[in-house]
Amino acid sequence: MATVLYLDELSKKFGSLQAVDRLTLQVEAGSIYGLLGPNGSGKTTTLGMVLDVIRPSNGSFLWFGRSISKETKQRVGALLETPNFYPYLTAEANLQVVADTKQADHRHINKMLDMVGLGTRSHTTYKGFSLGMKQRLALAAAMLNDPEVLMLDEPTNGLDPQGIAEVRDLITRIAAQGKTILLASHLLDEVEKVCTHVAVLQSGKLKANGAVGDILSTQDQLLISAEELAPVLQLLERLPYVTQFAQDKNSIRLTLSEGYTSTDLNRDMFAQGIVLSQLLVRRKSLEAQFLELTQK
Amino acid sequence: MNLIRTELRKILQYPTFWVIMATYVLLQVLLIYFSSSLMVSGQSLGKSLYDFPNLWMRFSYIAYFFNLLLGILVIVLITDEYSYRTLRQQVIDGRSRAEAVLAKFYVTLGLAATGTIFLLVMGLLFGLIYSKDTSIGAIFGKIDYLSYFFVQAVGYMCMAMFFAFLIRKSGLAIIAFLAWSKIVEPIIHYQIDDSIDRFMPMKVFGSLTPTPGQEIIDGLTSPTMVLSPGWAVLPALFYIALLVLASILLVRLRDL
Repeated sequence: MATVLYLDELSKKFGSLQAVDRLTLQVEAGSIYGLLGPNGSGKTTTLGMVLDVIRPSNGSFLWFGRSISKETKQRVGALLETPNFYPYLTAEANLQVVADTKQADHRHINKMLDMVGLGTRSHTTYKGFSLGMKQRLALAAAMLNDPEVLMLDEPTNGLDPQGIAEVRDLITRIAAQGKTILLASHLLDEVEKVCTHVAVLQSGKLKANGAVGDILSTQDQLLISAEELAPVLQLLERLPYVTQFAQDKNSIRLTLSEGYTSTDLNRDMFAQGIVLSQLLVRRKSLEAQFLELTQK
Repeated sequence: MNLIRTELRKILQYPTFWVIMATYVLLQVLLIYFSSSLMVSGQSLGKSLYDFPNLWMRFSYIAYFFNLLLGILVIVLITDEYSYRTLRQQVIDGRSRAEAVLAKFYVTLGLAATGTIFLLVMGLLFGLIYSKDTSIGAIFGKIDYLSYFFVQAVGYMCMAMFFAFLIRKSGLAIIAFLAWSKIVEPIIHYQIDDSIDRFMPMKVFGSLTPTPGQEIIDGLTSPTMVLSPGWAVLPALFYIALLVLASILLVRLRDL
């Protein structure tokens, strides 16, 4: 597969702050690459550097195997931090400005507005838009000349649940067209839901990267309790598919190996005459996973 | 062409632009109209103010004061691009930084052309109504002052553009622009010899539209050393080029 973006020891220093520290990454064509990290971990700075608006202090990057130019920029659609438009212009006029810059066909404007569900609002000025609409307009702008790569910085930041769902749905639809997407987010859940690959950043340093399945564990955690915990613990020792368990005050947390579910556990407990008073399936806390990753 | 078309899209639909331009036109018409009743040494200037061909010199001197307004407009247009982060977006989308600066330089050319055409229309209007002599020779006698005014307006706006790209915040940039052109540079003028300060930027731009009647004042007091409009064009063009290049350099060297 072709490499879309290659970062080589990319670094940025703001005064004494090392915002990005020798970051080396490779984004392959067709992947949905998540750049995951807490606020201030250097995600936006990294995107800013490869988008030519922040000058790297050190290191280099290549787009499609060559250095950045007008030609490579036209193959990438990007939004950085916030949607950036003229508040007094209408959605359509704003996209006309973008189309000029990208030398995109102006006939695509209405098609893109329809795609992001703003077709009926094309004559509304930008300042009258809700945050979700602004974000969607930014997506329309990024997609205007049908780029191969889409780069999104916290695309669901500040949106309400419906807005988040709409934007995620849009991203998945765009990805289905075979585009490469680079997505920066501080939301593990988002990266896990949307991305195929992930790089974890903290304080500008790369903590982990690879396929999402390898980096972020998707195992569920079970929480059970019963009148008497002792027999439960004894049984858990003997069940081969229980990978680990630990007792809290009056409940037990455990994880099962792949392919087994809470049903199996419940059946085996009942077969042994143990009646559970509580059986709760809980996703392993993403925050906990993230802390594990960043503390490695 | 592409750059200019995009700038037009942005400017023509911007209410602030129309407000500032309306102020520019209105104030200038008022000043031109009422300046005939100004009292100079006990007598009204009268309608002789509108006599061709000296009218061009007087009108361009009046318009000189309003270059500040054009400068402020340019600052607003540029700092907007920073506060809306649209400059950044344009660079992301494929425009080079030099193109971003040049686009604004073209805007200053456009505004200066608009101001010059406005002055031409006003001159013809007032001149044809009030001037004693309306022969072709008189009308076009000193019309070259309009071209000096054009260069001056571009120069003023380029100075404003430089401060806008340097400071990036509208309020502060406007203050810096006014402070430099009206206070700091004039103070420097007092400190150093006329033979040198006549080459300083704001003074050069100012010399393009000389004060009407300066020769009379010079006759009464010691003559001030300023460049004649014709001689001021070359250093003015030099400063314009310098300010544009400095702006490009600034935008190139910094993060957006």
